[in-house]
Amino acid sequence: MTLTIDSIRDCFDGAIPGLIATCSADGVPNVSYVSEVHYMDSEHLALTFQFFSKTRENVLANPFVTVMLLQPHTAAKFRIALRYLRTETEGPLFERMKAKLAGIASHSGMSGVFVLRGADVYRVLSLERVPGRTLPPPPSAINMLSALRACTQGLANAADLDQLIDQTLTSLERHCDVHHSMLLMFDEPGKRLYTVASRGYEVSGVGSEIAMGDGIVGVCARERTPIRLTHTTSDYVYGRAIRESAAQAGFADRLETEIPFPGLAAPGSQLAVPLTLGSRLLGVLFAESPEEMRFGYDDEDLLAALAAQLSMAIHILQSSPDVHEERAAPLPRRAPAGGPAIPIRYYPADHSIFIGENYLIKGVAGAIFWKLVRDYEREGRTEFSNRELRLDPSIRLPDIADNLEARLILLTRRLAERSSDLGIEKTGRGRFRLRVAGAVKPVEIAGNVR
Amino acid sequence: MSQSSQPAPVLDAGHVAFMTSGVSINVAARDAHNIPTLTRALGCRVSADRCTVTIFVAVPDAARLLDNLRINGAIAVVFSQPSTHHTIQLKGADARVVAREPDDPALFENFIVALAADLAHYGWMDSYVRTMLSHDDENIVGVAFTPYAAFNQTPGPAAGAPLASTGTP
Repeated sequence: MTLTIDSIRDCFDGAIPGLIATCSADGVPNVSYVSEVHYMDSEHLALTFQFFSKTRENVLANPFVTVMLLQPHTAAKFRIALRYLRTETEGPLFERMKAKLAGIASHSGMSGVFVLRGADVYRVLSLERVPGRTLPPPPSAINMLSALRACTQGLANAADLDQLIDQTLTSLERHCDVHHSMLLMFDEPGKRLYTVASRGYEVSGVGSEIAMGDGIVGVCARERTPIRLTHTTSDYVYGRAIRESAAQAGFADRLETEIPFPGLAAPGSQLAVPLTLGSRLLGVLFAESPEEMRFGYDDEDLLAALAAQLSMAIHILQSSPDVHEERAAPLPRRAPAGGPAIPIRYYPADHSIFIGENYLIKGVAGAIFWKLVRDYEREGRTEFSNRELRLDPSIRLPDIADNLEARLILLTRRLAERSSDLGIEKTGRGRFRLRVAGAVKPVEIAGNVR
Repeated sequence: MSQSSQPAPVLDAGHVAFMTSGVSINVAARDAHNIPTLTRALGCRVSADRCTVTIFVAVPDAARLLDNLRINGAIAVVFSQPSTHHTIQLKGADARVVAREPDDPALFENFIVALAADLAHYGWMDSYVRTMLSHDDENIVGVAFTPYAAFNQTPGPAAGAPLASTGTP
């Protein structure tokens, strides 16, 4: 079998630093370590440009270099002849390598020393295996192709977005040995991602938000590219940093509406892949593990292929028209008031909702909930359709990326977690019911201060 | 060659101690078109006057490197201690293949033991290091050269600077 770059991708996972030999224009060879050799495709590799070194000087003067890499597990050695093409200082490749380098730096005690200045792109000229003994490769725990097949079959059986999302995370757990995962949807006008489902955490974190460019999920979303971390690094950690930056920005009084991101406290490996349709971002599929080096190139391919299927399935569901009901729903009756009315506060400034003292949700999902509660209070209505929400001017759904279904899932899940008196139940395609245990007392509060 | 034409050694005793302590050694050469190649070495010896460094490489792995050295003698050797990242690089222009000495196999074994011990800091198994450095003693050749320049290559702000004295004469 011919040796190809694709067949030795585990050499590019950054577990073991590579070596690069260069030569100056006047014939003086140079040899140096290279922290990260990144697989781009079967004909291109990218190397980190970190220092203005002799290597750098030589590469610019003479583009022919040789790299030597060691294979994890087998100890096989490979020599690769390369020709330098260009340096990228921003964009998807740069961000992928920057994230990986941050993990490598953290792992090797080089945080603050290893800084990516650029991603040097090379064409592969030849690849040879260095003669020598090797160890047998470990058996792979998962057959990635059969796992992908099982996952996509699961998606095909989902009847709506709610099932689709749950099926995706369930499939990752069942078929791919991924036990900590999240799905975040993109709020395009708000330039944020919000969590609609998670697996493997003490709290679901549904409703938690991540700004574009923030951490591994935010960078993945901004660049529309998978980002993979093979080692823990503080550079991409969530949690306190978000809270601190919010506090510094003078929004300390609004912190009660922050839902904590549910991620692992000490992740060993993380992988985020974008859900896209062409250039349009739908969301991010995120997986993590306490184990270092858990996700390799094959895992990334698996999640990327699954994300592509998921994106297409979401698109098909969003494109199918709502059922045009003939408004035959029976006139609902006001539920009998048992105990005291449930106090519901609504802050129109950011559409945030509090049930009693409990923060529920804000944004579009908050506006939806407020409409439902007001209709219930005024007319006793409990039956609603997606279509009327789309048409309701008070909700102002962003019409470019109409994520009504995703907002309803978010709202339904938050209600299930935060209130035993109120809930949303699906009653059919494009229809649902507001479940209310008693009377409600909605109060709208103008202004910003809570 | 007269004694007076011998250049002053670029290495002091501290550098020599580091180079021969069982650190990772890799060697580069280049062909007539300035295309570089590289090979892992299996140990190092330094002459008493510190003017001649001999590193050991295995054929057939090093065949192309040796071909290049025979033609032009240009060599670069990097010595690096994985646990500390301490790294130095030597340059030579007169590299040539030299005869082995009787006690060389012991030097190779000591080298592997020391490097394996250092790599154990990263959790590398002894079996992995031994496989990586596997060789047939009979196929190892020495390459000697006179270092004319030496550089600090430890990652950080001082990387690339000429090698500073270790304070050990």
